[in-house]
Amino acid sequence: MAIAGETTLAARQDENATKRWVRFLDPSERTLAVLLLMPAALLLALIIVYPVCRLVWTSFHNLSLTSGAPATFAGIENYTLMLEDPVFWETTWNTVLITLITVPGALLVGMALALMANLPFKVKWPVRLSLLIPWALPLSFAGLIFAWFFHSEYGVVNDVFRRLGFEGVIWFNSASWAFAAICLTIVWKTSSFMALIILAGLQTIPHSLYEAAEVDGAGRFRQFFEITLPLLKPSIVVALIFRTITALQTFDIPFTMTRGGPGTSTATLAMYIHQNTVDFLDLGYGSALAVVMFALSMAVTAVYLRMIRAKG
Amino acid sequence: MNRDTPDNRSFLSGKPLRILIGFILVVNGMFPALWILFTSLKTETELTAKPITWLPHAPTLANYLRAFTDQPLILFLFNSFMVAILSTALTLFVSVLAAYALARLQIRGRDLILSAIIAVSTFPLVTLLVPLFEIMRALGLLNTWVALILPYTVLSLPVCTLILVSFFEGIPRDLENSAMIDGCTRIGALFKIVVPLSAPGVFTAGILAFVNAWDEFLLALSFNSNPMLRTLPVGITLYQGEFAFPWPVISAALVVGIVPVAVLIVIFQERVVSGLTSGGIKG
Repeated sequence: MAIAGETTLAARQDENATKRWVRFLDPSERTLAVLLLMPAALLLALIIVYPVCRLVWTSFHNLSLTSGAPATFAGIENYTLMLEDPVFWETTWNTVLITLITVPGALLVGMALALMANLPFKVKWPVRLSLLIPWALPLSFAGLIFAWFFHSEYGVVNDVFRRLGFEGVIWFNSASWAFAAICLTIVWKTSSFMALIILAGLQTIPHSLYEAAEVDGAGRFRQFFEITLPLLKPSIVVALIFRTITALQTFDIPFTMTRGGPGTSTATLAMYIHQNTVDFLDLGYGSALAVVMFALSMAVTAVYLRMIRAKG
Repeated sequence: MNRDTPDNRSFLSGKPLRILIGFILVVNGMFPALWILFTSLKTETELTAKPITWLPHAPTLANYLRAFTDQPLILFLFNSFMVAILSTALTLFVSVLAAYALARLQIRGRDLILSAIIAVSTFPLVTLLVPLFEIMRALGLLNTWVALILPYTVLSLPVCTLILVSFFEGIPRDLENSAMIDGCTRIGALFKIVVPLSAPGVFTAGILAFVNAWDEFLLALSFNSNPMLRTLPVGITLYQGEFAFPWPVISAALVVGIVPVAVLIVIFQERVVSGLTSGGIKG
């Protein structure tokens, strides 16, 4: 009996293995898979893979479209040039500063919005729309709208200031006020996205956890820090990764609000890449700048991924 | 206090407070768009009155007329719409095929492909400005819709594929199998059975792709220098002169640009929220 049993088991395993094997080799299925994935693969190859290789190659060459000369090997010249370029340092610093201010800013505001939106409103659609409209509004529109908000003469912000008895601020004449206006705009625009993600996370937390905590006498703050926050962590980390990556690419809002001014005091690295590429047609230098931004965003992703893994 | 609501544990559970909080939320989300609407209805003289007025005293539609005559706003709308709709269609087609392969077929390295897709969605598209500029130039695609449609498709491809994979996995295999027994090909079963049954997912993915394409600014600014091919976000920046900002006209153009997406969001609000949170995470 025992022997017979083993044989059947072995036979069954064998049969399963064969089935899997046949299935894997099934030419029609495999060809079909390749065919179905082909369009996506071709697009990714054309728009991402080849361009990335080309980017690295170009960054080591002199390639300026204004001269019309063919690309010549430049070694690390574009990179050493960068080290001595004050505008590179300024725009990189602005980008990092915008990231450091607006990502935590959007997280805090987004968290507050999500907690507020999670209240048991009887009519839910106005709340949902008030989070969706800022999310769907193009960044460039947000830049223009807030440029008007912060207008020194006719802007609503200064109007409120004056009504409250303060002096109006000439926002776009000073580097730091212009920078503040840009950061406020970015926080407003991006916090709704954070809020939508956090709100979805909040709605998956079972009520029973809070009821149990209530029975144990945990106050509202302890409940927030010991139940809500830990359970929200996965959604927060994912939202933070995407928000940080997009913050490093900041272009639309400073471009439409200040064009980088006064001077280059509110210009970002993305704006400098765009200027070198499209305006100056200096593709070699533009590529080297892009490689730096690429490295920055890879580093950010790596740090976040490590955070996820470290804490499980 | 309202102790009978399920959410009485929250910090602020009183009804007046809740109304106040709802008001704060709505003002935060809607005020900028409303303010632009008010501005668009004001005359130039009212705009430069001091102190500024909040509501327009003598609402006028003159700014809308100027928005359409000062710049080819109709053309901007048309370009934006065509680029967005064509890239949405292409995105959906390509991601339906890829998602079906990933959801149904036995593919070695399926998880690897899925993580590669997620990795692509964290990719900073700005860094590809230089090489894409070169490629589009070499292919003679600068100043065409295609120069934007292809990158926008790739921009939305990861998100849409992930959404569709999860929807396709929820459709019972038996449904396709019986269709195939009835003489349908596998691709036929995909488009006749699986896609229609996943319509909510396809819609959600489509809206995300549309909004991504409608909003994009940098590539549209860089690849299309021909004013006749400007998309709306880029076209709207053309209203401002060197020193003159015709704010009421810009506001009118902004309102015209906000309306289509706002309508889309109002109609499909629940779909959009579920799409954003079901793997469709993108800032």
